[in-house]
Amino acid sequence: MEIKLRYFGQLQELTGKSEEVFTVSLDTVGALRQYLIERYPKLDELNFKMAQDNKINSDSSPLNGSLIDLLPPFSGG
Amino acid sequence: MIMETRYQRHIQLNEVGTEGQLKIKKAKVLVVGAGGLGCPALQYLTGAGVGVIGIMDPDMVSISNLQRQILFNENDLGKNKALSAKEHLQKLNSKVELKAFPIALNHDNAAEYIVKFDIVLDGTDNFYTRYLISDQCILHNKVMIYGALYKFEGQVSVFNYQNGPSYRCLFPSPPEAGIIPNCSEIGVLGVVSGIIGIYQATETIKVILELGTILNGKLLCINLLNHQSTILTLEKNQKEIDQINTHGTAIPIKNVDCFVDFELSLNQLSSKEKIKWIDVREHDELPRVNHLNPLSHTVSLDLLLNSKDKIIAFCKTGTRSKVFVQKMKNKGIKNCFSLKEGAEELKKWGLKTQN
Repeated sequence: MEIKLRYFGQLQELTGKSEEVFTVSLDTVGALRQYLIERYPKLDELNFKMAQDNKINSDSSPLNGSLIDLLPPFSGG
Repeated sequence: MIMETRYQRHIQLNEVGTEGQLKIKKAKVLVVGAGGLGCPALQYLTGAGVGVIGIMDPDMVSISNLQRQILFNENDLGKNKALSAKEHLQKLNSKVELKAFPIALNHDNAAEYIVKFDIVLDGTDNFYTRYLISDQCILHNKVMIYGALYKFEGQVSVFNYQNGPSYRCLFPSPPEAGIIPNCSEIGVLGVVSGIIGIYQATETIKVILELGTILNGKLLCINLLNHQSTILTLEKNQKEIDQINTHGTAIPIKNVDCFVDFELSLNQLSSKEKIKWIDVREHDELPRVNHLNPLSHTVSLDLLLNSKDKIIAFCKTGTRSKVFVQKMKNKGIKNCFSLKEGAEELKKWGLKTQN
């Protein structure tokens, strides 16, 4: 399955990308998280949220979206 | 009559009218943090004629604030932000009741202030206060207007609106200390805070007027560099909300390191935590707190640099310890805090937690 990932905030600096396209066969959002952490180990410490097709999902949700957004919390104000 | 002329452009709108303007007049909004987000929000809320506006901020205006906090000017340098903001805003609209609170929101005082308002606009720059606002808004059934920044990006949402999700439904727990930098650490394009702050003011007014689509259960993510604007839906996590209600009070987050001014209170500490205490006072100042084995402020820098424990400096009133912590920060020691309470309170706390 081809998915497009968009990185928000600090995740852009940690991955060096604002977006990228992957072909993966993974069951859940959590499995995708693990896949990405293996690829970019620094992501592990950020407890980011993941949304698929504009809906924020828990890690147990099945991975079936084509657009995945990765969101870290923002602190500034 | 004056009211009608002043707010004529609102009243002309069918969606607002005289009735809507009266709703705005009856509203009470607390703005926590008169900084990059709070300043522009305050200007529009005051201009709009919100009946009562609370402004809370313990900090002073500094020269590096003026790039984005354009409510202030060079004459305000060194003045408290809440008091200074009130002075300027009152000139904009003398009919608005402005209440300045030149203090920090903390776990002791939060409920007392938040219950007096209908809506809390989150203009904070740290996770400690943001989670505190969120928890208090759950406990007292107040709407939280959330905004936060990262360089050229912003997030906006409305929490606790008509039984909707809360901030903890989005981010149940904060990241580890020091992972997510705030504006003073990483920088922010000044106008980004203006746009996000005004978005927050917009949502506040819409909530008051029950107008349009509120960002309830939705997170707006805006990137001003590439104009990418995304609305993500988020679900309520009842478990997170129940946890706060069952607890009955706000739950302090563990990593108080996010607390931007490096101060902390005894009530933020758990007795299980490993702490290196540093006594910043002279050797003959009383009371001594020997049972906590404090180090002297002449301790070697290497020992502190390599410390895995939290380092907390204290003195008689929390003033000298703050200066000490600032020096330590400048020398690259990160995990270092200044105790707000003095040695007297610390002694009592130490004896209590040891028993």
